[in-house]
Amino acid sequence: MRLLTTIGKYFVLMSSVFAKPVKLRIFIKRVLEEVEQIGMDSIWIVSIVSIFMGAVLTLQVAINFEAPYIPRYLIGLSARDTMILEFSSTIICLILAGKVGSNIASEIGTMRITEQIDALEIMGINSANYLILPKITAAIISFPVLNLLSIILGIAGGYLVSAATGVVSVYDYIYGLNYLFVPFYVTYSLIKICVFSVIITSVSSFHGYYTFGGALEVGKSSTRAVVYSIILILLFNLILTQLLLT
Amino acid sequence: MIEVRNVNKSFGDKHVLKDINATFKPGNVNMIIGRSGSGKTVLLKSIIGLHVPETGDIFFDGREFIRANMKFKREIRQEIGMVFQGGALFTSQTVEENIMFPLNLFTNWSKAEKLKRVNFCLERVNIQNANHLYPSEISGGMQKRVSIARAISLNPKYLFCDEPNSGLDPQTAILIDRLIKEITIEYDITTIVNTHDMNSVMEAGDSINYIHEGQNWWQGGREDIFNSDNIELNQFVFASELCKKIKKVSG
Ligand SMILES: Nc1ncnc2c1ncn2[C@@H]1O[C@H](COP(=O)(O)OP(=O)(O)OP(=O)(O)O)[C@@H](O)[C@H]1O
Ligand SMILES: [Mg+2]
Repeated sequence: MRLLTTIGKYFVLMSSVFAKPVKLRIFIKRVLEEVEQIGMDSIWIVSIVSIFMGAVLTLQVAINFEAPYIPRYLIGLSARDTMILEFSSTIICLILAGKVGSNIASEIGTMRITEQIDALEIMGINSANYLILPKITAAIISFPVLNLLSIILGIAGGYLVSAATGVVSVYDYIYGLNYLFVPFYVTYSLIKICVFSVIITSVSSFHGYYTFGGALEVGKSSTRAVVYSIILILLFNLILTQLLLT
Repeated sequence: MIEVRNVNKSFGDKHVLKDINATFKPGNVNMIIGRSGSGKTVLLKSIIGLHVPETGDIFFDGREFIRANMKFKREIRQEIGMVFQGGALFTSQTVEENIMFPLNLFTNWSKAEKLKRVNFCLERVNIQNANHLYPSEISGGMQKRVSIARAISLNPKYLFCDEPNSGLDPQTAILIDRLIKEITIEYDITTIVNTHDMNSVMEAGDSINYIHEGQNWWQGGREDIFNSDNIELNQFVFASELCKKIKKVSG
């Protein structure tokens, strides 16, 4: 029952989020600010995580597939497909749920408890629309870029480790990268990350927006934002995979 | 003019506002006084729709507000300026950006015109050389004044102040009281001020509503307040030695 009212409240909030902004110019300015905060500021963590995971994945597969009848190029192929199918979308979003989600929830939550949201409302501004829509838009714009970046860097990480350690020859690795490449997998990955970007920003905004009390509650909202984002990402990962790949 | 008719507001089974009736006139500083927890903030927030009362009507110059749709509410709210109990400045914006904020959204003025207006408002509240500071970098009294500057930037028809001078030293408090009074007369604003400070009442109050346990217990002018025989009001007013002395001297 409580879950049902929460879902109801979420959709009521979203119905005021998706309204026409008062001024397009201000909306665009807000989106750019958010792209910087949500997208640009996440580049370094996405890069580091992707390079290292790409490297480790390649190493793991190379070590575990050391039977003579398994072709070596499968190492490159598996690095590529793991990055595209799951890592660069799902795992990256789980990380971003922690970084971006908690940030959004505490920012909006603080604005709520210090009456800044009331101040917006009193000026005759649709506060949900003004605060949340630019965040969702910015995430839809910047997360797919992070997704592609993560795929490229992950594969590069694998390349580096094969060149440096020789667990697999560079030739085999690159051959594997090109072997049986399914372009739709990239589309699938991009679709997933778009859905996840909406989940992270809207769910976190929701928890921030309905914060009541003091600093302690802001902390709680931000934890809730991360937990619910992660659960929903995992759930939608399952649903989307079922819909798109089977 | 703002009219409040039979407003009731509860939180759960806690009945906070009990059948409030009041009229607030333009060009007047209308004060809502009462003890802490009597329901002043809830009343103010109910008038502007941040709380939704269970029953009652509120009219802004004859325009029904509570049951109006959101679009119409937003139109009326663009005529409202509000100073919150905690200031509620946008912490991510500088003083200048805070005051320019409503101008950016609701006017088509040029940058130069907006800046002129911002500086005019800042001058009005006696603040210089703070345009590029953030709210966290200025004192509490300055924050209150910037908050007033933001509230008057769009020339509001209605001004709401929730304890504008709580936590300030007596001199700054009086400056703010006088400022509110001047602006109210100058632009013929309907101003409503919440306070539990008798100094403010004496300094700026034109008409006074005394709220006692969520009821509009007493209303009258500043002069009447010392000569009332209302027991609860007297307990509130003459809580301080100073007011007792004033009564003795004048009475
Ligand atoms: N959102 C809320 N939920 C539940 N109860 C509330 C809420 N807001 C206020 N109250 C209750 O309503 C009563 C009146 O509160 P209000 O804030 O209006 O007092 P006040 O007169 O403004 O006091 P102060 O002078 O201390 O600011 C209090 O008992 C408070 O507990
Ligand atoms: Mg109060």
